[in-house]
Amino acid sequence: MATTALELHHISKTFGATKALQDVSLTVQRGEVLALLGENGCGKSTLVKVMAGVYDPESGGRMVVDGEDVPLPLHGDAARHLGLSFVHQDLGLARPLTVLENLLGGVAERSGSRTRIHWRAEARKAGEMLRSYGVDVDPLAVVNQLPPVEQALVAIARAAEELKQHRERTGASSSVLVLDEPTVFLPEEEVRFLFDLIRTIVASGASVVFISHDLPAIRAIADRVTVLRDGKLAATARMSDVTDAEVVEMIVGPAAAGLSSPKHGQAHGGHRPDAEEPRSFDRAPEAGLHVTGLRGGQTSGLELHVAPGEIVGLAGLLGSGAEEVPYLLFGAKQASGGELTLRGRSVPLTKQHPGQAVGMGLALIPADRRRDAIAPAVSVAENMMLLVVRRFSRGGRLRNALLRSTADERAGALDVRPRRTDLPLGTLSGGNAQKVVVGKWLEIGPEVLLLHEPTQGVDIAARAEIYRVIKRATETGMAVVWVSSDFDELATVCDRVVVVSGGVAVTEIVGQGISPAAITASVYGADPGATPNTRIVEQVAP
Amino acid sequence: MSATETVETTDPQPAPSVAQGSGSVRGRWGEKAALPVAWLVLFIVFAALAPETFLSMGNLSNILGSQSILFMLALAALLPTRSGDLDLSLGSIGGLSAIIVAVLNVNHGVSVPVACLVAVGVGGLCGAFNGLFVVKFKTEPFIMTLGTGTLFGGLVFWIANSTTIVGVDRSLSMWTYLRQIGGVPVQFFYCLLVMLVIWYVMNHTPLGVRNLFVGQSREVAVLSGINADRIRFGAFTLAGVIAALAGVLYVGTTGSAGPTSVETFLLPAYAAVFLGATTIQPGRFNALGTGVAVLFLATGTAGLQLLGAQDYAQQLFYGGALVLAVAISRYLRRN
Repeated sequence: MATTALELHHISKTFGATKALQDVSLTVQRGEVLALLGENGCGKSTLVKVMAGVYDPESGGRMVVDGEDVPLPLHGDAARHLGLSFVHQDLGLARPLTVLENLLGGVAERSGSRTRIHWRAEARKAGEMLRSYGVDVDPLAVVNQLPPVEQALVAIARAAEELKQHRERTGASSSVLVLDEPTVFLPEEEVRFLFDLIRTIVASGASVVFISHDLPAIRAIADRVTVLRDGKLAATARMSDVTDAEVVEMIVGPAAAGLSSPKHGQAHGGHRPDAEEPRSFDRAPEAGLHVTGLRGGQTSGLELHVAPGEIVGLAGLLGSGAEEVPYLLFGAKQASGGELTLRGRSVPLTKQHPGQAVGMGLALIPADRRRDAIAPAVSVAENMMLLVVRRFSRGGRLRNALLRSTADERAGALDVRPRRTDLPLGTLSGGNAQKVVVGKWLEIGPEVLLLHEPTQGVDIAARAEIYRVIKRATETGMAVVWVSSDFDELATVCDRVVVVSGGVAVTEIVGQGISPAAITASVYGADPGATPNTRIVEQVAP
Repeated sequence: MSATETVETTDPQPAPSVAQGSGSVRGRWGEKAALPVAWLVLFIVFAALAPETFLSMGNLSNILGSQSILFMLALAALLPTRSGDLDLSLGSIGGLSAIIVAVLNVNHGVSVPVACLVAVGVGGLCGAFNGLFVVKFKTEPFIMTLGTGTLFGGLVFWIANSTTIVGVDRSLSMWTYLRQIGGVPVQFFYCLLVMLVIWYVMNHTPLGVRNLFVGQSREVAVLSGINADRIRFGAFTLAGVIAALAGVLYVGTTGSAGPTSVETFLLPAYAAVFLGATTIQPGRFNALGTGVAVLFLATGTAGLQLLGAQDYAQQLFYGGALVLAVAISRYLRRN
């Protein structure tokens, strides 16, 4: 009997010029929980997709399942037949259906479509199955009426049951369950239910690969940890042999303090040059944007102050609440508490709505560009001038020619390509479309610009252009709240970075202290008890 | 895998090169002109097949004038469609308007102008009722207006007592059907006027631009601070008013109103709206396109009737034209 459930040897994968994975090897022992760790973009997702057969690795890679070599690449359903099962963050449940219907999805497929389903018997069986994993959920409950933790438990139990049936059917001695960030949206006190389930699954004979950014969770459940950095295997260790600080160092790299890793330098042409003097700002209490007691989504009493002309980055792991701040401030998502003050005017955020936000001089560039920021079928000119369309009307008549020529001029200044404002915006590349979105909002001369992942799917040249344009707009006093999971980007553009964890701002990094590594270290060590981050972070009282 | 870990991904639609871009513009010209060209071809074919009758003044005026109810109702249907909704109750609102005019005038001796004003006012209320339920209560417009349409249809039967009311004052017919300008019934020009006003507002005012975004990408409109709810509510209300005008034209044309009247025009009206979205401004529901589509449908049915086709030919033509036009424009856009 093999002692390893899964072995990957020398896996490489390249996308265009990016080496997503370089010669990565990984071993999952029988009956262990292996934590897979690394920064965003380190290659974790790519590796999981290679295991699932979504991506074909380059030749030279080997995969060994339960002691036997498996030909790569995997195709179609191959991973499932090998006893590999995946639960992603979205859980893969049909939410309007009942738990039982979700569990039967697989059964119906196996037994053919002509067999009658005996609902009452199936419900009883499903209930027994869930209880065997310690999951006490009514099989007849509708999934989206269950609390998030029970949804996660159902999805994981379903995957575990599939693996168990696989072992019984094939006589395999092991199988592997891959959990991709399952704890992100769960309240901290409920994560332990998940751990109980994982222990049950491991006891039943499966191995678990646990992908997470949550160090305390990993500490609680994992036997070993494997860390990827820049597409390479950085380290593997037993959890009992390493401290949290050592794990953080594995993630960000040795000598992380003050230095960014080579990839960062290539991707962004280096971060702020040391010669650049930190800019100074008007910190008078009545100036700029003040947010107090922000609650809603994952945020719980977040405080934020941005001076006029200042670019403040918000960094945090998924689920920290950072990514919700722009939407809550803009009223795109309803806040349950908090107050926003801008130029002496205070509004309760529970009553904020986009119309009022625009009226106050707030601008929002959301992450989901195609859904929330551009009307793809409408022309570039109309998209760009939407907010100021009234400016082009005289006596109720819209001067379309003036609108178009103004849009042409702005497109020229932003270097939008092709320089054709009559084309539907949807035909432009991501980078050019985003330039149009930025131009649209700067057109109203906003007091505050709120950004969420503004350069996702944006090429390097367009990124540089967007950075330049926004920086220039801050010279006239525009305050910027910049939320990004790309810490190189935050290091490049921000005057100050606020690290968010558990829904509140926990750390500030300013001036020369800002580097991708410093942000990453602070974000991972954000639990103040876990790692003291004063070592690399310049702490500043707000 | 996580939402924030997609830095390397690109937008789902790859950027077309400039060459492709200009190619698509040529395609757009072809697309823009397709329906008018089809209309012309249809016209020439009928003129060649039946030169005596088809090209007669009477027939040409018939083509322009006879479909005014359809024309008006299509303009009503255009408004909610343009703002991204659907109103299936407009036929019933037109029917309600027609029966109100007839009952007030014939049974209660109310003068024609007052009866028409009441009918149009009720149409506006019905539209506002739709707007309230769809927009404020955030329901699916398809289902909600199916319900309200049935409700209004029930009111029509109730008011009409399930009978047809005849003998509406001739002055109404004078003002709609009998009076002609250049041989064309005056009601056609009413439709033209409404069409041009809608065209102007949609294409030459800030409101029109905001309305466009509400219809095309509602999330974007909302996140740009546009009060999308107000625009949608306004579209439903105005659609009710215009549908009521279609009902008035129906009474003017037939001199009567029954338990079912304007309802039968609802599907052809939507055919015209969708057909219209393939021309003039392809991909956008637009007023001129709707007008061209109505004339196309009117020419086709008039021609077929002259050639001696049965009543069902009209339906075959409406349906066939819609199916073909939508499929062809979709096909053109893909290539």
